[in-house]
Amino acid sequence: MNGKFKPHETFRDDFSYRNSPEAIRRFPLPFPEDSYMYSVNIEPHLPGPVGSVTEFAFDVDEHYVAECRERAIVLASEPLRYQALPHMMSSQWDCLELIMESLARDYPTHFSLARQGNRWHWINRPLQIDQHFTFGDAATLPREPLDYITRQAQGDFVVMDQREGDLWAEAGMVTTQADWSMDFDLGMTFKEWHGPVPLAHELQVFDRALKFLLNLRLGQPVRRLNWTMTIHPRLDTSPENYPHWGPDRASVTGQNAGDLVHLRVELQGLWRLPRSNAIVFGIRCYLISLRELATVPKWARRVHRVLRDLHPALIDYKGLTRYRNAAVEWLAPFDDGSPTTPGTAPE
Amino acid sequence: MSDSQTLPVEVIGIEQVTPLIKHFKLAPAGGGSLPVFSGGSHIIVVMQAADRVHKNPYSLLGSPLQLDTYEIGVRRMEESRGGSHFMHDSVKVGSRLEIAHPVNLFGLDKIARKHVLIAGGIGITPFLGQLEDLHDGGVPYELHYSVRSPEHAAFLERLRRREGARLHMYYDSEGQLIPFETLLAAQPLGTHVYVCGPAGMIKHVIATAQARGWPDSHIHWEQFSAPPVGDAFDVFLARAKISVHVPPDQSLLESIEAAGVEVPYLCRGGVCGFCHTKVLELDGELIHNDHFLSEAEKAKAKSIMPCVSRARCKSLVLDL
Amino acid sequence: MLVTGIKSKPVYAPLQADTRGRYHLMLGMGVGAAPLLRVIDEMRAAAQSLQNTRVLFVPDAAAPLGIEQFKAAAVGDLQAFERPPALLERFAAILGQSLMGTRLYVAGPESFIGLVMKIALEFNLNKDEIRAEECGTLARRVYCIHCRATTENVRTNIVSCAGCKRWLLVRDHYSRRLAAYMGVMADAEAPGELPTLKEVFL
Repeated sequence: MNGKFKPHETFRDDFSYRNSPEAIRRFPLPFPEDSYMYSVNIEPHLPGPVGSVTEFAFDVDEHYVAECRERAIVLASEPLRYQALPHMMSSQWDCLELIMESLARDYPTHFSLARQGNRWHWINRPLQIDQHFTFGDAATLPREPLDYITRQAQGDFVVMDQREGDLWAEAGMVTTQADWSMDFDLGMTFKEWHGPVPLAHELQVFDRALKFLLNLRLGQPVRRLNWTMTIHPRLDTSPENYPHWGPDRASVTGQNAGDLVHLRVELQGLWRLPRSNAIVFGIRCYLISLRELATVPKWARRVHRVLRDLHPALIDYKGLTRYRNAAVEWLAPFDDGSPTTPGTAPE
Repeated sequence: MSDSQTLPVEVIGIEQVTPLIKHFKLAPAGGGSLPVFSGGSHIIVVMQAADRVHKNPYSLLGSPLQLDTYEIGVRRMEESRGGSHFMHDSVKVGSRLEIAHPVNLFGLDKIARKHVLIAGGIGITPFLGQLEDLHDGGVPYELHYSVRSPEHAAFLERLRRREGARLHMYYDSEGQLIPFETLLAAQPLGTHVYVCGPAGMIKHVIATAQARGWPDSHIHWEQFSAPPVGDAFDVFLARAKISVHVPPDQSLLESIEAAGVEVPYLCRGGVCGFCHTKVLELDGELIHNDHFLSEAEKAKAKSIMPCVSRARCKSLVLDL
Repeated sequence: MLVTGIKSKPVYAPLQADTRGRYHLMLGMGVGAAPLLRVIDEMRAAAQSLQNTRVLFVPDAAAPLGIEQFKAAAVGDLQAFERPPALLERFAAILGQSLMGTRLYVAGPESFIGLVMKIALEFNLNKDEIRAEECGTLARRVYCIHCRATTENVRTNIVSCAGCKRWLLVRDHYSRRLAAYMGVMADAEAPGELPTLKEVFL
């Protein structure tokens, strides 16, 4: 990334989070056309265009430092947002290796990793971390490996053990989720934790996704986009804290929707892990206000149409019910009905 | 997977560990280290023989912590289509081979309360890769290793040293047989059994475990058998628009590959389902040799696993 | 958010004997006696010895079936308990001594089944080794996702949390690990606006 970090922006209280013009330009819009329905929209996680969110394995952007601080705040009051069952230790090391190797390779100005056998030296300049440790020996790190490294990465991570022809969510760091609980879902199988998603089961989306993931190969990660909406640029929209953020949904009007309503996009990556043969599911979260979105005319028209015509079950599931109309009302003046080109690039 | 994802390796060590088994050490051709793997994984070794290409799976028997070399054990097969003979007779120190990324279809169950490992002959190889994880894992385990006679026990020294009383040896030559019935009848709840060896042994272990009430999810097996031979036949590939001849000693998959068409594969042994191919037309019968399709699917004859299955037919058209 | 129609909700089926099992462990509560006795009859009809069948049972004052029927069935071992916690403790001890080839049959209210499953999980028993039939009350255990307290015996669509006193919507999203359904604040978005209280899990 070319820009500087904005370490003091906040995702709570005064919500000072904003996207720079560069961040807006590279925002991963999840709508290639003017309407939306579920699909198994998985594609190989190959390097995308230079400067895009998919250029590297794990994207580090201008919000990196602020997001790490936000994660630390959540964990300080709610340690159960990080969990790992005892048998997942080898997968924890796999994740630490994957993330450290990727960040050091892709952002050499910010991260360094030097290895002599299993004596590793990790430097994270933005967070001012300089750590020597022995790979494989958890006592040489200040925290468990998965806990340690995900506090230095943007987005949530869920690790799934593969056995009995299924995937089991048995470790994870989940502080930036869109309304699901790691604590409640710990130990669930793939279809169990997707239980609350309407319609998709009938469309057999999960049967096919599971079959595909069971055969996921080392060195061949995949990715997909998912989306919902959030009021204020709030990362922590966990069920645990619903009493705090739930009321925001009722505070949206046709006038303030541009600043309050945010499109929340998840760039989800899935990697097979080498030692544990488990799968890590990375959920990287991007937020953009409707006002920021509308600075791209094509996106304003498209998002207006997607929201206006969205299936009622999805409106309910994605939690949009109370403010959907206000958001559509706010976007309407930007939509002159002219056609949009397919794909997400601005015209 | 496809050939474009192979790694070049050089053979840096060969040892005849038993009259029939050779132990090969492979190092990355350009230096550096090899990919990390989990115990129980195998690699596909691609061998360029004079008249054909052999692609055989071999379990990684080295420690997953040692990544400067990979170690495999190859048994010289009596009725070989050439792969094991090639490894034994043509490969020397310094030879170059291509290998595919490790794949694990025989991993340990991480929440098992106990592991019972049963190996027959060359079937010991995947367990060697797993013992590293088991050794420090804290979960009780035992290894039952059956061979023809003491001289055929590969890696015995290494096993005795590391495993001590956890290792139980059985020599056919001394009339020692693994007591499958009593072994499987006495395991505590939460035990998983893993078997790798001759087809008959695997079948027997599965049947005995099932008869003792073990659920299938607690019975794991791996079998690397050569694809069965059969009468020659011809097949037409609808998308590639070419006709392929399948000789008696070459599998359908190998013949298709030799004709320049790639088919996704993982195990090449009829177990994983990766090479699953649609049958568009058939005038004759399919000979299913796989363990993946259900009986119903086999009867419908709309699918075939080309890695091990064949046909007896006037015509066969595949969706490739 | 989806409240009903969630696929993590456990699905139960009428109990059937699994003749591939070598040891049969049956746990029942109240009207759960009936399905268990039916399985025992099935086994007897198939000329299966009942030597390796043990029954742990909590009789219910209200239910007509009870210990006498089990005694008459002459199973290998029979133990009655006044309340579920004692049964569950004995169950865990038995599992610690059990062998591969064991089959578990559970019949009773859903909460009872859930607590049995929770223990079975620790011994790596999986769905192929367990059969469960739900009978008796559908009353639920509800885990409050906010304060993490569990409220027992919930029969209504919304409930006041035993821990934080918030009104919780009782969802169909179920955790086997916690043996409970998720309860989430019912009026977070519009304080005081609650759905009508209804008895639904009877």
